[in-house]
Amino acid sequence: MREFVNYLADPIRSFPIFLVFFYLMIRYVKVVATKKFAVIGTLISLPPIAWALADKNFFKIVIRPDNLPINFLIITVVFFTWFSLYKGVRNDGRLAAGEVPIEALPENREKVWTWPNLVYTELFCMIAMTIFLVVWAIYFKAPLEEPANPTWAPNPAKAPWYFLGLQEMLVYFDPWYAGVILPGLIVAGLIAIPYIDTNPKGNGYFCYEDRKMAINLFLFGWLALWVYLIIVGTFLRGPNWTFYGPFEYWDYKKVVAEYNVNLSEFFWIIGLNQPLPSNMILREIVGIVISLGYFFILPLASLKTKYGAKLFKDMGTIRYFILIFLAVAMASLPIKMALRWLFSLKYIVALPELELNF
Amino acid sequence: MADKGLAQKVRDTQVWKSIFRHGPPDNARNRAAVVAGNVFLHLHPIKLKKSGVELGYTWCMGGLTFFIFLALAVTGVLLMFYYRPTAEYAFNDIVAMREHVPLGIMREIHRWGAHAMVITVWLHMFRVFMTGSYKPPREFNWGVGVILLVLTMLLSFTGYLLPWDQLAIWAIAVGANMAKATPLVGHGGPGAAFAVIGDFVMVSDKNDVRYQLLGGRFVGEPALLRFYILHCVFIPLVVGTLIAVHFWRVRKDGGISAPL
Amino acid sequence: MADKQSLNRREFFSFLTVGWVAFSAACAGLASMALRYSYPNVNFEPEMDFLAGRPTDYEAGVDERWKNGFGVWMIKRDGILVALSNICTHLGCVPNWLPAELKFKCPCHGSGFYMNGVNFEGPAPRPLERFRITMTPDGQILVDKTRIFRQEKGEWNHPDSFIRV
Repeated sequence: MREFVNYLADPIRSFPIFLVFFYLMIRYVKVVATKKFAVIGTLISLPPIAWALADKNFFKIVIRPDNLPINFLIITVVFFTWFSLYKGVRNDGRLAAGEVPIEALPENREKVWTWPNLVYTELFCMIAMTIFLVVWAIYFKAPLEEPANPTWAPNPAKAPWYFLGLQEMLVYFDPWYAGVILPGLIVAGLIAIPYIDTNPKGNGYFCYEDRKMAINLFLFGWLALWVYLIIVGTFLRGPNWTFYGPFEYWDYKKVVAEYNVNLSEFFWIIGLNQPLPSNMILREIVGIVISLGYFFILPLASLKTKYGAKLFKDMGTIRYFILIFLAVAMASLPIKMALRWLFSLKYIVALPELELNF
Repeated sequence: MADKGLAQKVRDTQVWKSIFRHGPPDNARNRAAVVAGNVFLHLHPIKLKKSGVELGYTWCMGGLTFFIFLALAVTGVLLMFYYRPTAEYAFNDIVAMREHVPLGIMREIHRWGAHAMVITVWLHMFRVFMTGSYKPPREFNWGVGVILLVLTMLLSFTGYLLPWDQLAIWAIAVGANMAKATPLVGHGGPGAAFAVIGDFVMVSDKNDVRYQLLGGRFVGEPALLRFYILHCVFIPLVVGTLIAVHFWRVRKDGGISAPL
Repeated sequence: MADKQSLNRREFFSFLTVGWVAFSAACAGLASMALRYSYPNVNFEPEMDFLAGRPTDYEAGVDERWKNGFGVWMIKRDGILVALSNICTHLGCVPNWLPAELKFKCPCHGSGFYMNGVNFEGPAPRPLERFRITMTPDGQILVDKTRIFRQEKGEWNHPDSFIRV
């Protein structure tokens, strides 16, 4: 059984499984966003979690000081995702029945005094947080590793958990893309959200149906490309940053054969059975064409689809192309991950002479 | 006078009256006065919609983020009394904070508080997204919030470098190499290979963005000092300013979001 | 009365334009000086060259004796001796030499390199760098880390990038 879970946990299998669950969640959101589902789901998931924690290898990872917060993160993210969907679906039902959302009910629109209504809530939250932090600080020492040693890197050398998604991205891309461009695009994309999303519905209350596309896209980026990668980086990456199942002992001598091939080698050596051309542009021409096509032709081609044409008409030129560009950049990460897992593809464009790898 | 309670006597003193210039907040006038007349409480409006007070709606994540930020500022100042940002002392000072300083959990609160702040700020953004609160007229404030999120991560990053342990030095090494790989302004990034005129290399390891970040070509003491200043002074100043903007705009853009 | 103003409308606006341009230029100048301020002119740097003994000191294979002090692996193989940098070309961590698998493996993101320094797995975009390695007149090896040789630029054929043994 443990072997089987270890087998399933490899990102090559667990990422598709995660995507299937994600799809089921948004497809059957009406079922997921009920209290009954939450209670049953919690009850069903408790025994497997207890069983998993009984394994000493897994337990060791879970209680590593640096990993404690991520356990909180997982619990809070699961809860609040469900909670916001629950509130959203409840409002959807009310809107469908011609009523106003709960937040817009007259008794909720009514104005109340800040003192005592708000200040006491805040005081309560502050005291609860203080107690929580102090107790946590007394029970768990803050992480501190060995003194700095520039000649020896710890193995595995992990960033704190909130950067592990980034660290995992760096495995699939060259630093200029995964370390600079992608984070930059994440920030720019987040800032751009209010200017791209012109849907006036759902302003100031929870809902799902009216903002389906926006919420699905956001949840995909947030859960599948950020939280999932953090979980992989925390629980499934061991010495030498190779994959270890959650119940697998971190054997430093584990041998993993992992030979990565560039697209140019696939094309020239395996495809055409020739040596690599000495001209670097000619060598990488296939990858360059594919990359340019992906980032520039694909957005233009998307206009030809029915859905794209409708969006284009609704949003206008600038908004549409910003949205498509951000979507294409976001999709480049799972695509590259899949290519790496399936074909050991390293770089689509490999120009180390110009420090330009993609 | 004998029939008055002690509390009332205290309230009647000149000292008390000079501080609290209104009666207890048990009627409308004084409830308005207590919020409007207090420099800390006047962040809030005097009255607000009931939906904006509900924990089920706000999750209090923004408020908690701000509270943790304040707690980190206080504990951070306390830590600075015992910490010297040099390669020789930094690590030992961090150990001494636990071993040789009374109430040796200040660093623990600071470190775990930083982790908690990252979680609360993410969840705050998640709530704001799920309630559509970034929609007009709050677009600009959403952007300020995103920048605050980035700065929170930068504060965490610069912060965990300060103990000068293995995590710190390798995080700096990786961060510096990312800076080196920045297109156009890093000497190991795309574009630098083209910025060459004859023998003159325009973007080299002596003038690129990594050199600026580290204060040199190698990870060493200048880098530690730089990150110390960034962590303790520079970024908190920027964050404090942006928090003021953020809160001001929450008020000016119509208060905590509610259905239009 | 308007005619009596010393500036007419057009003159006034051109005056304003000059003023704004001057103001912007002054701000830009100050900003660039602030940027320049963050680049120190002089700083401490570790020693960049060292004497690495005699060629006969090394056995075939990977020698780690200079790794901790100078960040260099000496690799004797196929009749040549090279000084290989121990900085991963991906993000600058220090890979470990795994004698059982005959490869260098980086703990940060899993890049792998053959014994000769050529990358073959993980994200590293290019091979490890070689340092200049020369013989002093008295028969000692001099490793100079200021000059690097990169395989993908075809520099590993350069006579200073290895010594024959």
